Amino acid sequence: MAKQMLIDAIKGKRTPRAPWVPYAGVHCAFVIGEPADKFLRDPQLLAKGVVETAKLYKADGIPLVFDLSVEAESMGLEIKYWKDNVPSVQSHPLFDKTVEEAGLKVPGPNDGRWPVLFEAAKIAKPQLDELDCALMGLACGPLTLASHLAGVRIFTDVVKNKEKAHEVLSFCAKVVKKSVEMYCDMDCDIIAIVDPVASQIRKETFKEFVHPYCQDAINVIHERGKTSTFFICGDATKVLEAVCEIGTHGFAIDEQLNLTFVRDLALKYGKGFGGNLKLTLALSLGIISPREDAIVSLAAGSTIGYVFAPG
Amino acid sequence: MRTSLKEQELLVKLREGVINYDDEEVEKAAKEWIELGLDAAKAIFEGLVPGMEEVGRLYEEEIYFIPEMLLCADALYRGLELLRPHVRKRDLGIRGRVLIGVVEGDIHDIGKNIVKMMFEVSCFEVYDLGRNVPLEDFIEAYRKYKPDLVCLSTMMTSTLLEMKKVIATLKEENPHIKILVGGAPLTDQIASRWGASGYAPNANRALKAAVDLLVALKRCSFVQNAG
Repeated sequence: MAKQMLIDAIKGKRTPRAPWVPYAGVHCAFVIGEPADKFLRDPQLLAKGVVETAKLYKADGIPLVFDLSVEAESMGLEIKYWKDNVPSVQSHPLFDKTVEEAGLKVPGPNDGRWPVLFEAAKIAKPQLDELDCALMGLACGPLTLASHLAGVRIFTDVVKNKEKAHEVLSFCAKVVKKSVEMYCDMDCDIIAIVDPVASQIRKETFKEFVHPYCQDAINVIHERGKTSTFFICGDATKVLEAVCEIGTHGFAIDEQLNLTFVRDLALKYGKGFGGNLKLTLALSLGIISPREDAIVSLAAGSTIGYVFAPG
Repeated sequence: MRTSLKEQELLVKLREGVINYDDEEVEKAAKEWIELGLDAAKAIFEGLVPGMEEVGRLYEEEIYFIPEMLLCADALYRGLELLRPHVRKRDLGIRGRVLIGVVEGDIHDIGKNIVKMMFEVSCFEVYDLGRNVPLEDFIEAYRKYKPDLVCLSTMMTSTLLEMKKVIATLKEENPHIKILVGGAPLTDQIASRWGASGYAPNANRALKAAVDLLVALKRCSFVQNAG
């Protein structure tokens, strides 16, 4: 395991080999034989699952949690827990209300599940340090958080009701900044802004509604001496150049993208890039061979700024 | 039946209104269509639906993204809301009961709603479970309604597995069940590998596939009864 190698790769540097990050998420619960809903709310189990999974997969880095409902839950949104998956957000208070009308406040370390995460990080961090494995903090990105708060209407508001969309996103930016601060306080080595739905908009919309609302959070990560990355899902081909320009050290993409295209763009911008093992096609659907898929990813990714990871 | 110039003009407006997410244009054209006493089903299937199909193509080619897609859907639904009450049913010579729904985890229901409407105007009895439907609801509804055909839809790769689970569970309990599947990430190979009776890449093909399945089913039961 090699924490520094991972940090170097995310910063776009050449590494002796491609470092490896399993975005294990609630798979950590499976590894220790616990249901996801129990695992996510118990700091001892959370820490145990993350450490055991890091050991099992010989990870160079691992997220504390991969759960984008943490922020929403800590603001009082209704959450549905699952035994074998991450929770889903059920209520959208800004669908027909303003931030003030809904009484939303930027959550702090005592709200929602944040105390669980703080406690889990306290237990897991020294053990991961011992393994030379980086602890990653994953903050919900502004557009995804806006979709939790305002529902699907945020996607039409960014075209037809821009004023309202900016108002929601401005609030989300404050929440993302606070999340990032908290992950820094937990001593995470790498902090990702995870905005999966940001691939579902035009490049111009991305620049207007995602870029500006990530800047405060990215500045915090860099001021605190941490490594930053931006995760995006889906077919992000059309917005990938904008992702490279967002200001994080690196970025990570999903299995729908062509890794050669991604690599060339990352090299052009001097960014680290992570991906893109095709988990759904290889492991869930069994349509392609996981081994061959891994070989193709490693060959395409090479060893300059590349992090071998699921897509 | 020939399409008059006025009809053609209005069909273009309905189609273009959906593509350009201009719900006012769609509303105006739909109201004019109704006032002229024209065939509402034609306005839907030759105006609105081709518009939405073009939107699907623009989305596939990454010219449109989710915001545009949703705005186009708003325009489509505006037109449907006005035209639907005026639709005269058409008889395809076969009747059947259809259970339809989008599998759990997926809230994309535009395609499912278009397919449902095609069934309804073709005199099928449709039980719509909506979107994000848990497996248990499909099982319960199948036991309750005993439909001739179950139609499943999903638009996301991540929810494909849920569809696989629904097919397997329904087939385990009802080995002769007929299941028709559709949705962007599916192919006929995946559908066939999972044991679906049929696959339809779009709404028109869904109706045709359903009719073919039901004709085969009725023929089979006729032969069995005769035997």
